[in-house]
Amino acid sequence: MAIIGIESSAHTFGVGIIQNGEILANVKSMYKIGNKGMIPIEVSEHHIQNAADVIKLALDTAKITIKDLKGVGYTKGPGMGPCLQVGQLSAKTLSYRLKIPIAPVNHGVAHVEITKHTQKMKDPLALYVSGGNSQILVLDKNTRKYRILGETFDMGLGNAIDNLARSLGLEHAWGSDVERLAKDGSYIDMPYTVKGMDFSFTGLLTNAIKKLETEKKEDVCYSFQETAFSMLCEATERALLLSKKNELCVCGGVAQNTKLAKMLEEVASENGVRFAKAPNEFNADNGAMIALVAENNIKNNNFEKLENCDVKQRYRIDEVVVYD
Amino acid sequence: MIEFKGAEATIEVIQLYNQKVIVKTRNEKKYRIKSLDEKLRSFRTKREARIILKLNNSNVNSPKILALGKYTIMMSFVEGVLMRDLPENEEFMKPIGNEVKKMHLSGVVHGDLTPANIIIKNNTPFIIDFGLAEVTNNLEEKAIDLLLFKRSVSKKSFEIFLSSYIEKNPEGKKVIDKLKEVELRGRYNVRTLT
Repeated sequence: MAIIGIESSAHTFGVGIIQNGEILANVKSMYKIGNKGMIPIEVSEHHIQNAADVIKLALDTAKITIKDLKGVGYTKGPGMGPCLQVGQLSAKTLSYRLKIPIAPVNHGVAHVEITKHTQKMKDPLALYVSGGNSQILVLDKNTRKYRILGETFDMGLGNAIDNLARSLGLEHAWGSDVERLAKDGSYIDMPYTVKGMDFSFTGLLTNAIKKLETEKKEDVCYSFQETAFSMLCEATERALLLSKKNELCVCGGVAQNTKLAKMLEEVASENGVRFAKAPNEFNADNGAMIALVAENNIKNNNFEKLENCDVKQRYRIDEVVVYD
Repeated sequence: MIEFKGAEATIEVIQLYNQKVIVKTRNEKKYRIKSLDEKLRSFRTKREARIILKLNNSNVNSPKILALGKYTIMMSFVEGVLMRDLPENEEFMKPIGNEVKKMHLSGVVHGDLTPANIIIKNNTPFIIDFGLAEVTNNLEEKAIDLLLFKRSVSKKSFEIFLSSYIEKNPEGKKVIDKLKEVELRGRYNVRTLT
Protein backbone atom coordinates (compact mmCIF):
# COMPACT_ATOMS: atom_id res chain seq x y z
CA MET A 1 0.00 0.00 0.00
CA ALA A 2 1.39 3.36 -1.08
CA ILE A 3 1.22 6.21 1.43
CA ILE A 4 1.77 9.83 0.46
CA GLY A 5 3.25 12.35 2.89
CA ILE A 6 3.02 16.13 2.58
CA GLU A 7 5.38 18.49 4.39
CA SER A 8 4.87 22.26 4.39
CA SER A 9 5.92 23.57 7.80
CA ALA A 10 8.44 26.13 6.51
CA HIS A 11 10.05 27.07 3.18
CA THR A 12 9.77 23.60 1.63
CA PHE A 13 6.71 22.04 0.08
CA GLY A 14 7.75 18.41 0.00
CA VAL A 15 5.92 15.27 -1.07
CA GLY A 16 7.09 11.73 -0.45
CA ILE A 17 5.61 8.33 -1.28
CA ILE A 18 6.41 5.21 0.69
CA GLN A 19 5.36 1.59 0.32
CA ASN A 20 6.05 -0.89 3.11
CA GLY A 21 9.00 1.18 4.29
CA GLU A 22 10.46 1.60 0.81
CA ILE A 23 10.75 5.21 -0.33
CA LEU A 24 9.39 5.46 -3.88
CA ALA A 25 9.54 9.25 -4.23
CA ASN A 26 10.82 12.26 -2.32
CA VAL A 27 10.40 15.50 -4.23
CA LYS A 28 10.00 19.12 -3.26
CA SER A 29 9.72 22.73 -4.24
CA MET A 30 11.53 25.30 -2.14
CA TYR A 31 10.63 28.93 -1.57
CA LYS A 32 13.63 31.05 -2.55
CA ILE A 33 14.83 32.87 0.50
CA GLY A 34 16.14 36.38 -0.11
CA ASN A 35 17.89 38.38 2.54
CA LYS A 36 14.84 39.17 4.67
CA GLY A 37 14.04 35.80 6.21
CA MET A 38 10.69 34.14 5.63
CA ILE A 39 7.44 36.04 5.43
CA PRO A 40 4.84 33.35 6.20
CA ILE A 41 2.18 34.60 3.84
CA GLU A 42 4.62 34.78 0.90
CA VAL A 43 5.90 31.30 1.62
CA SER A 44 2.37 29.90 1.78
CA GLU A 45 1.60 31.58 -1.56
CA HIS A 46 4.56 29.67 -3.04
CA HIS A 47 3.19 26.42 -1.58
CA ILE A 48 -0.28 27.05 -3.01
CA GLN A 49 1.17 27.70 -6.48
CA ASN A 50 3.27 24.53 -6.43
CA ALA A 51 1.27 21.99 -4.40
CA ALA A 52 -0.48 20.25 -7.31
CA ASP A 53 2.67 20.06 -9.44
CA VAL A 54 4.80 18.60 -6.67
CA ILE A 55 2.16 15.97 -5.84
CA LYS A 56 1.97 15.03 -9.52
CA LEU A 57 5.78 14.88 -9.78
CA ALA A 58 5.86 12.55 -6.75
CA LEU A 59 3.32 10.19 -8.34
CA ASP A 60 5.27 10.18 -11.62
CA THR A 61 8.55 9.55 -9.83
CA ALA A 62 7.03 6.64 -7.90
CA LYS A 63 5.50 5.35 -11.16
CA ILE A 64 2.05 4.99 -9.61
CA THR A 65 -1.29 6.65 -10.22
CA ILE A 66 -3.34 8.59 -7.73
CA LYS A 67 -5.67 5.56 -7.40
CA ASP A 68 -2.81 3.52 -5.89
CA LEU A 69 -2.63 5.74 -2.81
CA LYS A 70 -3.95 3.98 0.26
CA GLY A 71 -3.32 6.67 2.86
CA VAL A 72 -2.11 10.21 3.35
CA GLY A 73 -0.09 12.03 6.01
CA TYR A 74 0.63 15.72 6.54
CA THR A 75 2.63 17.87 8.92
CA LYS A 76 0.35 19.07 11.70
CA GLY A 77 3.13 21.12 13.31
CA PRO A 78 5.30 22.68 14.59
CA GLY A 79 5.70 25.29 11.88
CA MET A 80 4.29 28.49 10.44
CA GLY A 81 0.48 28.50 10.41
CA PRO A 82 -0.21 29.70 6.84
CA CYS A 83 2.36 27.25 5.47
CA LEU A 84 1.08 24.28 7.47
CA GLN A 85 -2.45 24.97 6.25
CA VAL A 86 -1.47 24.41 2.60
CA GLY A 87 -0.20 20.90 3.36
CA GLN A 88 -3.17 20.21 5.59
CA LEU A 89 -5.67 21.25 2.91
CA SER A 90 -3.87 19.24 0.20
CA ALA A 91 -3.92 16.16 2.41
CA LYS A 92 -7.55 16.59 3.41
CA THR A 93 -8.55 16.97 -0.23
CA LEU A 94 -6.75 13.73 -1.15
CA SER A 95 -8.30 11.91 1.80
CA TYR A 96 -11.80 13.16 0.97
CA ARG A 97 -11.68 12.52 -2.76
CA LEU A 98 -9.91 9.15 -2.62
CA LYS A 99 -11.65 8.01 0.59
CA ILE A 100 -8.33 7.04 2.18
CA PRO A 101 -7.27 7.36 5.85
CA ILE A 102 -5.42 10.53 6.91
CA ALA A 103 -2.77 10.86 9.66
CA PRO A 104 -1.50 14.17 11.11
CA VAL A 105 2.25 13.96 11.81
CA ASN A 106 4.62 15.80 14.15
CA HIS A 107 7.49 17.25 12.16
CA GLY A 108 10.15 16.51 14.79
CA VAL A 109 9.05 12.91 15.26
CA ALA A 110 9.29 12.47 11.48
CA HIS A 111 12.90 13.72 11.40
CA VAL A 112 13.98 11.25 14.08
CA GLU A 113 11.99 8.36 12.65
CA ILE A 114 13.35 8.73 9.10
CA THR A 115 16.88 8.74 10.53
CA LYS A 116 16.20 5.57 12.52
CA HIS A 117 14.57 3.99 9.46
CA THR A 118 17.31 4.78 6.93
CA GLN A 119 20.19 4.13 9.32
CA LYS A 120 18.67 0.98 10.86
CA MET A 121 18.87 2.27 14.42
CA LYS A 122 16.88 0.69 17.22
CA ASP A 123 16.83 3.06 20.14
CA PRO A 124 19.18 6.02 19.70
CA LEU A 125 19.73 9.20 21.62
CA ALA A 126 18.66 11.77 19.04
CA LEU A 127 19.95 15.29 18.66
CA TYR A 128 17.35 17.17 16.65
CA VAL A 129 18.63 20.51 15.38
CA SER A 130 16.62 22.53 12.90
CA GLY A 131 15.55 26.12 12.42
CA GLY A 132 12.88 26.19 15.07
CA ASN A 133 14.02 23.37 17.34
CA SER A 134 17.12 22.11 19.09
CA GLN A 135 16.42 19.17 21.35
CA ILE A 136 18.03 16.07 22.81
CA LEU A 137 15.53 13.22 22.67
CA VAL A 138 15.04 9.65 23.85
CA LEU A 139 12.03 7.42 23.27
CA ASP A 140 10.26 6.42 26.47
CA LYS A 141 9.42 2.71 26.07
CA ASN A 142 6.42 2.83 28.40
CA THR A 143 4.57 5.84 27.04
CA ARG A 144 5.89 5.45 23.45
CA LYS A 145 6.51 9.19 23.49
CA TYR A 146 9.75 11.10 23.01
CA ARG A 147 11.19 12.57 26.18
CA ILE A 148 13.09 15.83 25.90
CA LEU A 149 16.28 15.48 27.93
CA GLY A 150 17.65 18.85 26.93
CA GLU A 151 16.71 21.70 24.65
CA THR A 152 17.36 25.30 23.71
CA PHE A 153 16.15 27.94 26.14
CA ASP A 154 15.45 30.38 23.33
CA MET A 155 15.90 29.94 19.56
CA GLY A 156 16.68 26.93 17.42
CA LEU A 157 20.28 26.75 16.20
CA GLY A 158 19.23 26.78 12.52
CA ASN A 159 17.41 30.04 13.06
CA ALA A 160 20.49 31.53 14.72
CA ILE A 161 22.75 30.40 11.85
CA ASP A 162 20.33 31.83 9.24
CA ASN A 163 20.25 35.07 11.20
CA LEU A 164 24.03 35.28 11.13
CA ALA A 165 24.01 34.44 7.40
CA ARG A 166 21.65 37.35 6.73
CA SER A 167 23.92 39.68 8.67
CA LEU A 168 26.80 38.78 6.36
CA GLY A 169 25.20 40.92 3.64
CA LEU A 170 24.91 38.19 1.01
CA GLU A 171 22.20 38.32 -1.61
CA HIS A 172 20.75 34.92 -0.78
CA ALA A 173 21.48 33.97 2.77
CA TRP A 174 21.67 30.28 3.66
CA GLY A 175 23.12 28.53 6.68
CA SER A 176 25.53 26.74 4.35
CA ASP A 177 27.23 30.11 3.66
CA VAL A 178 28.27 30.21 7.31
CA GLU A 179 29.77 26.73 7.00
CA ARG A 180 31.62 27.69 3.79
CA LEU A 181 33.10 30.89 5.27
CA ALA A 182 34.00 29.11 8.52
CA LYS A 183 36.47 26.88 6.66
CA ASP A 184 39.04 29.71 6.51
CA GLY A 185 38.53 31.25 9.95
CA SER A 186 40.39 31.27 13.22
CA TYR A 187 39.01 31.33 16.74
CA ILE A 188 37.95 34.43 18.65
CA ASP A 189 36.35 34.39 22.08
CA MET A 190 32.53 34.10 22.19
CA PRO A 191 29.98 33.45 24.96
CA TYR A 192 29.28 29.80 25.72
CA THR A 193 26.03 28.87 27.48
CA VAL A 194 25.26 25.34 28.63
CA LYS A 195 23.22 24.51 31.69
CA GLY A 196 23.15 20.78 32.33
CA MET A 197 21.63 19.40 29.15
CA ASP A 198 20.07 22.68 28.04
CA PHE A 199 21.66 25.46 26.02
CA SER A 200 21.00 28.95 24.73
CA PHE A 201 21.94 30.64 21.46
CA THR A 202 20.68 34.23 21.58
CA GLY A 203 23.63 35.65 23.52
CA LEU A 204 26.06 33.96 21.14
CA LEU A 205 24.18 35.29 18.09
CA THR A 206 24.08 38.88 19.34
CA ASN A 207 27.77 38.72 20.13
CA ALA A 208 28.64 37.26 16.72
CA ILE A 209 26.63 39.90 14.83
CA LYS A 210 28.31 42.63 16.85
CA LYS A 211 31.75 41.18 16.14
CA LEU A 212 31.06 41.38 12.39
CA GLU A 213 31.67 45.14 12.70
CA THR A 214 35.27 44.69 13.80
CA GLU A 215 36.38 41.15 12.97
CA LYS A 216 36.82 39.18 9.75
CA LYS A 217 33.67 37.41 8.49
CA GLU A 218 35.54 34.12 8.30
CA ASP A 219 36.66 34.35 11.92
CA VAL A 220 33.17 35.19 13.17
CA CYS A 221 31.58 32.28 11.26
CA TYR A 222 34.26 29.86 12.42
CA SER A 223 34.02 30.90 16.06
CA PHE A 224 30.23 30.92 16.02
CA GLN A 225 30.15 27.37 14.66
CA GLU A 226 32.83 26.07 17.00
CA THR A 227 31.10 27.58 20.03
CA ALA A 228 27.55 26.52 19.15
CA PHE A 229 28.54 22.99 18.13
CA SER A 230 30.72 22.52 21.22
CA MET A 231 27.72 23.48 23.34
CA LEU A 232 25.57 20.87 21.59
CA CYS A 233 28.29 18.23 21.95
CA GLU A 234 28.72 18.88 25.66
CA ALA A 235 24.98 18.65 26.36
CA THR A 236 24.71 15.56 24.14
CA GLU A 237 27.58 13.81 25.88
CA ARG A 238 25.96 14.44 29.26
CA ALA A 239 22.66 13.04 27.95
CA LEU A 240 24.48 10.04 26.49
CA LEU A 241 26.00 9.12 29.83
CA LEU A 242 22.71 9.65 31.63
CA SER A 243 20.51 7.70 29.21
CA LYS A 244 23.12 4.94 28.66
CA LYS A 245 22.05 4.57 25.01
CA ASN A 246 24.46 2.86 22.63
CA GLU A 247 23.42 4.74 19.50
CA LEU A 248 23.57 8.45 18.72
CA CYS A 249 22.03 10.20 15.75
CA VAL A 250 21.67 13.78 14.58
CA CYS A 251 18.79 14.99 12.43
CA GLY A 252 17.07 18.17 11.25
CA GLY A 253 18.31 20.90 8.92
CA VAL A 254 21.52 21.68 10.82
CA ALA A 255 22.49 17.98 10.66
CA GLN A 256 23.56 18.73 7.06
CA ASN A 257 26.55 20.60 8.48
CA THR A 258 29.57 18.32 8.11
CA LYS A 259 31.52 19.95 10.95
CA LEU A 260 28.75 19.22 13.48
CA ALA A 261 28.56 15.61 12.35
CA LYS A 262 32.33 15.25 12.69
CA MET A 263 32.29 16.58 16.24
CA LEU A 264 29.39 14.35 17.28
CA GLU A 265 31.18 11.37 15.78
CA GLU A 266 34.07 12.19 18.10
CA VAL A 267 31.72 12.29 21.10
CA ALA A 268 30.24 8.95 20.06
CA SER A 269 33.55 7.16 19.54
CA GLU A 270 34.92 8.52 22.83
CA ASN A 271 31.96 6.89 24.59
CA GLY A 272 31.95 3.73 22.46
CA VAL A 273 28.54 4.26 20.85
CA ARG A 274 27.48 4.07 17.21
CA PHE A 275 26.90 7.36 15.40
CA ALA A 276 24.81 7.89 12.29
CA LYS A 277 22.92 10.51 10.35
CA ALA A 278 20.58 10.19 7.41
CA PRO A 279 21.51 11.41 3.90
CA ASN A 280 20.97 15.16 3.53
CA GLU A 281 17.74 14.86 1.55
CA PHE A 282 16.12 13.54 4.75
CA ASN A 283 17.67 16.14 7.06
CA ALA A 284 16.29 18.96 4.98
CA ASP A 285 12.51 19.19 5.24
CA ASN A 286 10.97 16.46 3.10
CA GLY A 287 7.76 14.58 2.45
CA ALA A 288 9.20 11.06 2.72
CA MET A 289 9.61 11.33 6.48
CA ILE A 290 5.97 12.40 6.84
CA ALA A 291 4.90 9.46 4.67
CA LEU A 292 6.96 7.09 6.83
CA VAL A 293 5.32 8.15 10.10
CA ALA A 294 1.89 8.21 8.45
CA GLU A 295 2.42 4.66 7.19
CA ASN A 296 3.36 3.47 10.68
CA ASN A 297 0.35 5.24 12.18
CA ILE A 298 -2.10 3.91 9.61
CA LYS A 299 -0.69 0.37 9.97
CA ASN A 300 -1.47 0.66 13.68
CA ASN A 301 -4.99 1.94 12.93
CA ASN A 302 -4.10 5.33 14.31
CA PHE A 303 -5.65 7.78 11.88
CA GLU A 304 -7.76 10.85 12.37
CA LYS A 305 -11.32 11.80 11.42
CA LEU A 306 -11.26 14.34 8.62
CA GLU A 307 -12.99 17.01 10.71
CA ASN A 308 -10.35 16.65 13.45
CA CYS A 309 -7.40 17.25 11.11
CA ASP A 310 -6.04 20.59 12.30
CA VAL A 311 -2.67 22.34 12.37
CA LYS A 312 -0.78 23.32 15.50
CA GLN A 313 2.01 25.88 15.23
CA ARG A 314 3.51 24.94 18.58
CA TYR A 315 3.19 21.17 18.50
CA ARG A 316 5.50 19.69 21.12
CA ILE A 317 7.29 16.47 20.23
CA ASP A 318 6.62 14.97 23.68
CA GLU A 319 2.82 15.07 23.14
CA VAL A 320 2.86 12.41 20.43
CA VAL A 321 2.64 8.62 20.64
CA VAL A 322 5.10 7.00 18.22
CA TYR A 323 4.44 3.69 16.40
CA ASP A 324 6.84 1.48 14.50
CA MET B 1 42.11 4.35 40.86
CA ILE B 2 39.36 5.90 38.75
CA GLU B 3 36.20 5.76 40.78
CA PHE B 4 33.78 7.47 38.43
CA LYS B 5 33.83 8.88 34.92
CA GLY B 6 31.27 11.59 34.24
CA ALA B 7 30.60 13.59 31.10
CA GLU B 8 32.84 16.39 32.29
CA ALA B 9 35.31 15.00 34.77
CA THR B 10 36.79 11.89 36.29
CA ILE B 11 36.83 11.24 40.01
CA GLU B 12 39.75 9.41 41.56
CA VAL B 13 40.05 8.32 45.17
CA ILE B 14 43.64 8.25 46.41
CA GLN B 15 45.33 7.64 49.73
CA LEU B 16 47.24 10.70 50.93
CA TYR B 17 49.24 9.99 54.10
CA ASN B 18 46.60 8.64 56.47
CA GLN B 19 43.50 9.94 54.74
CA LYS B 20 41.53 9.24 51.59
CA VAL B 21 41.13 12.18 49.24
CA ILE B 22 39.26 12.83 46.02
CA VAL B 23 40.89 14.20 42.90
CA LYS B 24 38.44 15.60 40.38
CA THR B 25 39.95 16.22 36.95
CA ARG B 26 38.28 17.90 34.01
CA ASN B 27 39.56 15.98 31.02
CA GLU B 28 40.35 17.21 27.56
CA LYS B 29 37.49 17.03 25.07
CA LYS B 30 38.79 16.26 21.61
CA TYR B 31 35.66 17.42 19.79
CA ARG B 32 36.25 21.07 20.64
CA ILE B 33 39.19 23.24 19.66
CA LYS B 34 42.05 23.48 22.11
CA SER B 35 41.72 27.13 23.10
CA LEU B 36 38.00 26.83 23.84
CA ASP B 37 38.56 23.52 25.63
CA GLU B 38 41.26 24.92 27.90
CA LYS B 39 39.29 28.07 28.61
CA LEU B 40 36.19 26.13 29.68
CA ARG B 41 38.05 23.57 31.76
CA SER B 42 40.15 26.06 33.69
CA PHE B 43 37.25 28.47 34.20
CA ARG B 44 34.97 25.76 35.53
CA THR B 45 37.64 24.26 37.76
CA LYS B 46 38.29 27.64 39.32
CA ARG B 47 34.59 28.38 39.68
CA GLU B 48 33.88 25.06 41.36
CA ALA B 49 36.81 25.51 43.74
CA ARG B 50 35.62 28.97 44.66
CA ILE B 51 32.14 27.62 45.38
CA ILE B 52 33.39 24.78 47.57
CA LEU B 53 35.57 27.23 49.47
CA LYS B 54 32.56 29.49 49.99
CA LEU B 55 30.59 26.56 51.38
CA ASN B 56 33.50 25.51 53.61
CA ASN B 57 33.57 29.02 55.05
CA SER B 58 29.80 28.97 55.62
CA ASN B 59 29.99 25.62 57.42
CA VAL B 60 27.85 23.78 54.91
CA ASN B 61 28.39 20.02 55.07
CA SER B 62 30.34 19.40 51.87
CA PRO B 63 33.79 18.14 50.93
CA LYS B 64 36.64 20.37 52.14
CA ILE B 65 38.88 21.81 49.50
CA LEU B 66 42.52 20.74 49.91
CA ALA B 67 44.39 21.81 46.79
CA LEU B 68 43.77 23.30 43.38
CA GLY B 69 45.44 22.73 40.01
CA LYS B 70 44.65 24.16 36.59
CA TYR B 71 42.16 21.40 35.76
CA THR B 72 42.05 19.49 39.04
CA ILE B 73 40.59 19.93 42.49
CA MET B 74 41.70 17.87 45.45
CA MET B 75 39.10 17.60 48.19
CA SER B 76 38.33 15.57 51.27
CA PHE B 77 36.60 12.22 50.82
CA VAL B 78 33.17 12.00 52.45
CA GLU B 79 32.83 8.41 53.64
CA GLY B 80 29.18 7.43 53.56
CA VAL B 81 26.34 6.17 51.38
CA LEU B 82 24.61 8.02 48.55
CA MET B 83 21.08 8.99 49.55
CA ARG B 84 19.98 7.50 46.22
CA ASP B 85 21.16 4.07 47.33
CA LEU B 86 19.29 4.19 50.66
CA PRO B 87 15.59 3.64 51.28
CA GLU B 88 13.88 7.00 51.63
CA ASN B 89 14.02 8.12 55.24
CA GLU B 90 12.03 11.09 56.51
CA GLU B 91 14.49 11.57 59.37
CA PHE B 92 17.11 12.89 56.93
CA MET B 93 14.82 15.56 55.49
CA LYS B 94 15.15 18.04 58.35
CA PRO B 95 18.97 18.16 58.30
CA ILE B 96 19.01 18.20 54.48
CA GLY B 97 16.64 21.20 54.50
CA ASN B 98 19.00 22.91 56.90
CA GLU B 99 22.09 22.28 54.72
CA VAL B 100 20.33 23.50 51.58
CA LYS B 101 19.21 26.60 53.49
CA LYS B 102 22.79 27.33 54.55
CA MET B 103 24.01 26.76 51.00
CA HIS B 104 21.42 29.13 49.48
CA LEU B 105 22.00 31.79 52.13
CA SER B 106 25.70 31.73 51.32
CA GLY B 107 24.74 32.63 47.73
CA VAL B 108 25.28 29.25 46.09
CA VAL B 109 22.78 27.27 44.01
CA HIS B 110 23.61 23.65 43.31
CA GLY B 111 22.11 23.12 39.85
CA ASP B 112 21.55 19.38 40.27
CA LEU B 113 20.13 18.85 43.75
CA THR B 114 19.03 15.21 43.71
CA PRO B 115 19.58 12.19 45.99
CA ALA B 116 22.49 11.20 43.75
CA ASN B 117 24.38 14.24 45.03
CA ILE B 118 23.75 13.83 48.75
CA ILE B 119 25.89 11.54 50.90
CA ILE B 120 24.64 10.34 54.27
CA LYS B 121 27.50 9.95 56.73
CA ASN B 122 26.54 8.81 60.23
CA ASN B 123 23.01 10.13 59.72
CA THR B 124 24.39 13.53 58.67
CA PRO B 125 23.82 14.71 55.09
CA PHE B 126 26.66 16.10 52.97
CA ILE B 127 26.05 17.87 49.66
CA ILE B 128 28.50 16.93 46.89
CA ASP B 129 29.30 17.67 43.22
CA PHE B 130 29.25 21.38 42.51
CA GLY B 131 30.08 20.98 38.83
CA LEU B 132 26.84 22.70 37.80
CA ALA B 133 26.67 25.08 40.77
CA GLU B 134 26.66 28.84 40.49
CA VAL B 135 27.17 31.81 42.75
CA THR B 136 23.90 33.70 42.56
CA ASN B 137 21.12 35.08 44.72
CA ASN B 138 18.55 34.65 41.96
CA LEU B 139 15.35 33.37 43.61
CA GLU B 140 14.32 31.39 40.55
CA GLU B 141 17.57 29.41 40.50
CA LYS B 142 17.07 28.60 44.16
CA ALA B 143 13.47 27.59 43.50
CA ILE B 144 14.66 25.23 40.76
CA ASP B 145 17.01 23.55 43.24
CA LEU B 146 13.98 22.91 45.44
CA LEU B 147 11.90 21.73 42.49
CA LEU B 148 14.52 19.17 41.46
CA PHE B 149 14.63 17.87 45.01
CA LYS B 150 10.83 17.81 45.23
CA ARG B 151 10.65 15.62 42.13
CA SER B 152 12.97 13.03 43.66
CA VAL B 153 11.34 12.51 47.10
CA SER B 154 7.86 11.77 48.45
CA LYS B 155 5.37 14.51 49.24
CA LYS B 156 5.68 13.98 53.00
CA SER B 157 9.47 14.03 52.85
CA PHE B 158 9.45 17.25 50.87
CA GLU B 159 7.14 18.92 53.42
CA ILE B 160 9.55 18.07 56.24
CA PHE B 161 12.46 19.28 54.10
CA LEU B 162 10.65 22.52 53.36
CA SER B 163 9.66 23.26 56.96
CA SER B 164 13.30 23.09 57.99
CA TYR B 165 14.37 25.06 54.88
CA ILE B 166 12.17 28.07 55.77
CA GLU B 167 12.93 28.01 59.48
CA LYS B 168 14.84 31.21 60.33
CA ASN B 169 15.41 31.76 56.61
CA PRO B 170 14.91 35.45 55.76
CA GLU B 171 14.27 34.70 52.06
CA GLY B 172 12.57 31.33 52.58
CA LYS B 173 9.05 32.52 51.86
CA LYS B 174 10.14 34.33 48.70
CA VAL B 175 11.85 31.20 47.35
CA ILE B 176 8.75 29.11 48.01
CA ASP B 177 6.51 31.67 46.28
CA LYS B 178 8.88 31.50 43.33
CA LEU B 179 8.70 27.69 43.38
CA LYS B 180 4.89 27.87 43.12
CA GLU B 181 5.22 30.31 40.23
CA VAL B 182 7.72 28.09 38.40
CA GLU B 183 5.48 25.05 38.85
CA LEU B 184 2.49 26.92 37.45
CA ARG B 185 4.23 27.52 34.13
CA GLY B 186 2.81 24.63 32.16
CA ARG B 187 5.67 23.61 29.93
CA TYR B 188 8.54 24.65 32.14
CA ASN B 189 10.62 21.52 32.11
CA VAL B 190 13.04 20.87 34.89
CA ARG B 191 14.83 17.62 34.34
CA THR B 192 16.74 15.58 36.82
CA LEU B 193 20.23 14.83 35.60
CA THR B 194 20.79 11.78 37.72
